[in-house]
Amino acid sequence: MPETAIETKTEAQLATPWNVVVHNDPVNLMSYVTMVFQKVFGYSRDRATRHMLEVHHLGRSIVWTGSREQAELYVQQLHSYLLQATLEKSEGC
Amino acid sequence: MLIRKWKKKAIEFSRIEQIEAELLRQVPACCDLDEGSKAEARIFPPPANTNDPDFLRDWHEYVRPELQHLFRSAKETVETDLGSLKMKVGHLGRFLVPLEHGEPWLNALNQARLILATKFEFSEAELSAFDLSRTFSQRELVLHQINFYAAIQERIIEILNTGDEQKGSGEGG
Repeated sequence: MPETAIETKTEAQLATPWNVVVHNDPVNLMSYVTMVFQKVFGYSRDRATRHMLEVHHLGRSIVWTGSREQAELYVQQLHSYLLQATLEKSEGC
Repeated sequence: MLIRKWKKKAIEFSRIEQIEAELLRQVPACCDLDEGSKAEARIFPPPANTNDPDFLRDWHEYVRPELQHLFRSAKETVETDLGSLKMKVGHLGRFLVPLEHGEPWLNALNQARLILATKFEFSEAELSAFDLSRTFSQRELVLHQINFYAAIQERIIEILNTGDEQKGSGEGG
């Protein structure tokens, strides 16, 4: 029988990474946004503050990257705190 | 008004003036949304900048009702807590908010601020201005209301984050 080479990829390799993006909003308080990042992602205060400042100064921050399913859950959680968040395909994939 | 942690189990609002009580009582009503309004679009923003109709339809069908329930529940919690705020003529008011209601309060105050800011179309510069206005139009007064709610949010966040029982910021009004 002829041999057939089958190339396999893991699920992780096949999955396209998705970004969770938080957009600037003049109403949400900086302290509130920092608190939400800590609660939703379990980030340290420093990391949460870094993302908050990125949102504030650059208008947006990619706060998490990973599977689409998890990204959707995070966007839902961020919306529950009234933050403007979207998911988008990660570039370079 | 003074806002501080009370016996490790509540947030105490005390020394409340009549005008502050009135603004607090307006929080639930400020959370009401007009269907199809800009404020509604801000409270329920799209989850992605995409034209994927299936995803957006599913989000609208399954996620939005959950968010609506959460926002309504936060508003009702605030309404219930405010029920214990009794003002007597010539006296300052006081009421307690259980610590576990801290997040619903933050949520309802955020809803109120977002809705007011969207309805009155405040710019980022206006929202972050610290100078006192010289006019007393309805718009200016709403800006004061938004800032009053922001100060309460800041204090609740401080209490939830640090557990501080001594500091008395939030005084004013």
